[in-house]
Amino acid sequence: MGNKVIFKANIKRHRGALIGVFILVFLACGALGTVLNVWLNSGRYVHGELTRAGFGSLTAWVSGLTDARSLANEMENLPEVSSVEIQNLIFSNYTVDGQESDSEGQLILYHSEEIRYRFFTDDLHGYQEQPEAISPGEIYVSPSLVSMMGLTLGDEISFLIARSGRDKVFTVAGFYEDPFMGSSMIGMKGFLIGEEDFQEIRQVIQSSGIDALAREGAMLHIFAADPDTMTSSNLNQTINDNTSLSSYVEFIHSENAIAGFMLILQNAFAAMLMAFVAVLLFVVVIVLGYSISSGIEADYSNMGMLKTIGFTGGQLRSIWLAQYLTGILGGMAVGLAAATPLSHLVSNTTLTTTGIYIPAHLPIGWCLLAFGILLGLLMGFIWLKTRPIRDIAPMKAIRGDIGAAGKIKVSRTPIWGKHLQLGIALRQLTTGKRRYAGACMVAVLLVFIASMIGRMDSWLGPDGKGMMDAFNPADHDIGVQVFGELPMEEVEDAIRSYTDITDDYLLAMPNVAVNGMDYTANVITEPERFHILEGRTCLEDNEIVLTEFVAANLGVGIGDTVAVTGDSGSGEYIVSGIYSCANDMGDNVGMSREGYLKIGQDAPQLWCHHYFLKDTTQKEAIRLALENAYGGDIHIHENTWPGLFGIISAMQALMVFLYVMVAIFILVVTVLTGSKLLAAEQRDMGIYKALGFTNRSLRLSFSLRFAMASLLGSAIGLILANFLTDKIVSAAMKLAGISNFASAPSVVSVLLPALTVTLLFAGFAFLTAGRLKRIDVTILISE
Amino acid sequence: MKEILLKGTNICKAFPENGTETQILQSVNVEVYKGDFTIIMGASGAGKSTLLYALSGMDSITGGEITYKNQKISSFSEKQMATLRAKEFGFVFQQTHLASNLTLLENVTVAGYVSKTASPKEIQERASRLLRQMRAEKAAGRLPSQVSGGEAQRAAIARAMIGNPGLLFADEPTGALNKTNSEEVLNLLSGLNQNGQSILMVTHDAKAAIRGNRILYLEDGQILDELTLPVFKETEAKEREETVTAWLSSLQW
Ligand SMILES: Nc1ncnc2c1ncn2[C@@H]1O[C@H](COP(=O)(O)OP(=O)(O)O)[C@@H](O)[C@H]1O
Ligand SMILES: [Mg+2]
Repeated sequence: MGNKVIFKANIKRHRGALIGVFILVFLACGALGTVLNVWLNSGRYVHGELTRAGFGSLTAWVSGLTDARSLANEMENLPEVSSVEIQNLIFSNYTVDGQESDSEGQLILYHSEEIRYRFFTDDLHGYQEQPEAISPGEIYVSPSLVSMMGLTLGDEISFLIARSGRDKVFTVAGFYEDPFMGSSMIGMKGFLIGEEDFQEIRQVIQSSGIDALAREGAMLHIFAADPDTMTSSNLNQTINDNTSLSSYVEFIHSENAIAGFMLILQNAFAAMLMAFVAVLLFVVVIVLGYSISSGIEADYSNMGMLKTIGFTGGQLRSIWLAQYLTGILGGMAVGLAAATPLSHLVSNTTLTTTGIYIPAHLPIGWCLLAFGILLGLLMGFIWLKTRPIRDIAPMKAIRGDIGAAGKIKVSRTPIWGKHLQLGIALRQLTTGKRRYAGACMVAVLLVFIASMIGRMDSWLGPDGKGMMDAFNPADHDIGVQVFGELPMEEVEDAIRSYTDITDDYLLAMPNVAVNGMDYTANVITEPERFHILEGRTCLEDNEIVLTEFVAANLGVGIGDTVAVTGDSGSGEYIVSGIYSCANDMGDNVGMSREGYLKIGQDAPQLWCHHYFLKDTTQKEAIRLALENAYGGDIHIHENTWPGLFGIISAMQALMVFLYVMVAIFILVVTVLTGSKLLAAEQRDMGIYKALGFTNRSLRLSFSLRFAMASLLGSAIGLILANFLTDKIVSAAMKLAGISNFASAPSVVSVLLPALTVTLLFAGFAFLTAGRLKRIDVTILISE
Repeated sequence: MKEILLKGTNICKAFPENGTETQILQSVNVEVYKGDFTIIMGASGAGKSTLLYALSGMDSITGGEITYKNQKISSFSEKQMATLRAKEFGFVFQQTHLASNLTLLENVTVAGYVSKTASPKEIQERASRLLRQMRAEKAAGRLPSQVSGGEAQRAAIARAMIGNPGLLFADEPTGALNKTNSEEVLNLLSGLNQNGQSILMVTHDAKAAIRGNRILYLEDGQILDELTLPVFKETEAKEREETVTAWLSSLQW
């Protein structure tokens, strides 16, 4: 009974602190619930959909064969393969509003009876019934084309079926969910079309002969007989060894690899947000700790009195635990409730980049587990922090001796006549060290995370160059690949009419098998351009470079020999170095032109001409001019890729979210610690007022103290970020196949977070100190 | 005729209490003359401190008007008030109220810096001189928590004097001190007054009150009576005490 009365009184008395704890826990837990939701649900959903929609353990894209069924039968005869399903499709380049696609599109014949795909409502906020059939001229696309090419409902897409203008134009009739290639991280895109159009295009291809630009092909979904024991690379190797698949295959991916592509964005951002949530939780702990110790200090004599009337230290500690639990549990409950609408919001806003609608039903079990663990940790922490209550000696406390809690140690910092404010602020700060330490630590954490993300953002750059350099085997400004008979000199003259070409080289990307595994080979005329991480580049014609990931997969290192098979033979190559190229999630190798031509056939259209331009701002103009002049005979790509805009805009959204959260956190932390500090310093404030200080100067001096504390914290945060960013981020980037992350800190990305955090602390402190107006000199009037 | 330094006309002060207002000062009229050592006496709870804080502009008033050197300070802005406190008023509290994280010397110099009445260098010299004059120079480098009550209060007087104030306010400056320390503080105040310093001091101790040359008696929120005495001389202390005690008992003290 007594406990209850005290509990109620305490809740009232520590209302401010409890509300602060509530808000912080609410924000951190709301974000935590949302991250868990996005991360767990998108993983489970993509895997589930891949299975439901009938994608095999391996999927091979094939072309150039007359009868896919007989190839399928050939594979089905292997004991390792249980079945092979065929989806017919047509490979074709396409343009949207004059913008050429980066990779070939895949026109897929839609069968409503397969129930393979799910269709979105036109506003992209949910699902609708699948159509009975797709009418002629209509096409269904992945919503990621909205972010990649700015496509909207009713837009036209034109597919280049054959030379001399045999294009096929479709109107976007709706969006469908493609769990396979839907993410903007994947260049190739599937399009659903109806039976009539599909047959019509086949006819055009067949009748055009050599002038055909589009190709017939199929997706072969290969199911392993025993997927639990058979790894996908073993299955791939077995099939390559025993069937003719390798003669027709364009590319082949395992279900896991595809799920990996589909989930890159979600996983990367879940990881970043998770790190951020962890930081927020640390801040919660710091604030909690500060709030408890200053609360105990303020309640010291009160609790001494309670002890004289028979309360035990344990009882009082339980009451304190209970009062903080109300704030924490409240925050958790509201955070949990908010996580569902937040997840919906995330699902809706990310649909056009991820291509899938992440289900927003909260993984309750996981959330409860995570929140439970968190609650346990916080309770333990509170119990530890309330230990001083145990040691309160009743009589001493009542006499006003607040023991160690109230002892101040004064540092003799200088007080100057000229910079009085600064001197006073410094003295108050060093006297109240422990009290300002909270603000300082919070600044460390917030600046650390903000600076880390800022460094990543500046690495990415406004046009994603950092990311592109990580993906490309070698740098360039613009790449031109010609089909047909177009002379290169003519193209180069056209480019020179805009700006000088400062340098050039050739790159081809044929498929090869290395030790029986299929990889893309980056074949280059100037191997010294590869981004080498270890060893040296492949200078001799019997040398090859691998990515870290390929080296690990094959279990080989520098100096080892590998067997490489191309389309005209095979040979032994020595691994001369490890290079970085995140294409195909790092599943690629690098060779010199001379090296490759020993095992592969040469053809002019194999090679892409990479140019460096004197004035790189002319890139876009050159691209448009070349496309207008040569149309389907030429393919131009810049050092960019449409999925990049998804990443960049997501990164920007993350930055905005981050800074909003940082601002709210700083506000709560400043108000909480600030009002406690003002209460503790109120006597001194009264004295300074009596001496003739104005409210304004006292407020300024107060915010100056916060600025100094947070500046110190910011500096520490910056130093930590400087040493740790590359280590931490590289570890995370490796998951996406990027092995050469080294942040390129710009002055802005380094100083902005520190400056923002310091200014926010100072600003909010100034606002909090507004209550100084109400601190009257009369608090000094003696009784 | 003496020059009026500070003047309160119809001063009212009420404190809000449980929804109603308690009237503490009821239309007080008071004048303080330049060069005087003026004393406000009265029983505990009579409203002496309230009156002192009202007159010094440390606290707001609910009615009436206060002028200092013919300026209506009761309608001063916060900033003007701060300047007035810094340059014109000095204040000595019963509880000394030294800033706890500044040494005695720093307490004095900081007050001087705020007053901006001299260059920082001069302030530092003046502070040391004042502390020597108040015989607190030995404790000058120590924090308030490390010195005796007497030393702290003498430093507090030095702090109040650093800006050469026009008027020194003191609210029971000896209230928390023992007999010897009280005497010493009172001697210092008398010395200051003899050098021309105007002082307005609140006390309920007749031994302290005899230092003044004019004593006002406050009761039920009003000035009931006043007593004028010649300037204090150590040798006449006994007779003065008798005079004051007799006056007080005539007022049912
Ligand atoms: N801030 C306040 N709020 C309410 N009442 C007050 C306040 N300050 C003083 N009082 C009341 O005013 C009366 C006079 O107080 P004060 O001026 O301190 O008396 P003293 O003559 O002892 O110095 C007392 O009854 C006191 O309770
Ligand atoms: Mg009093």
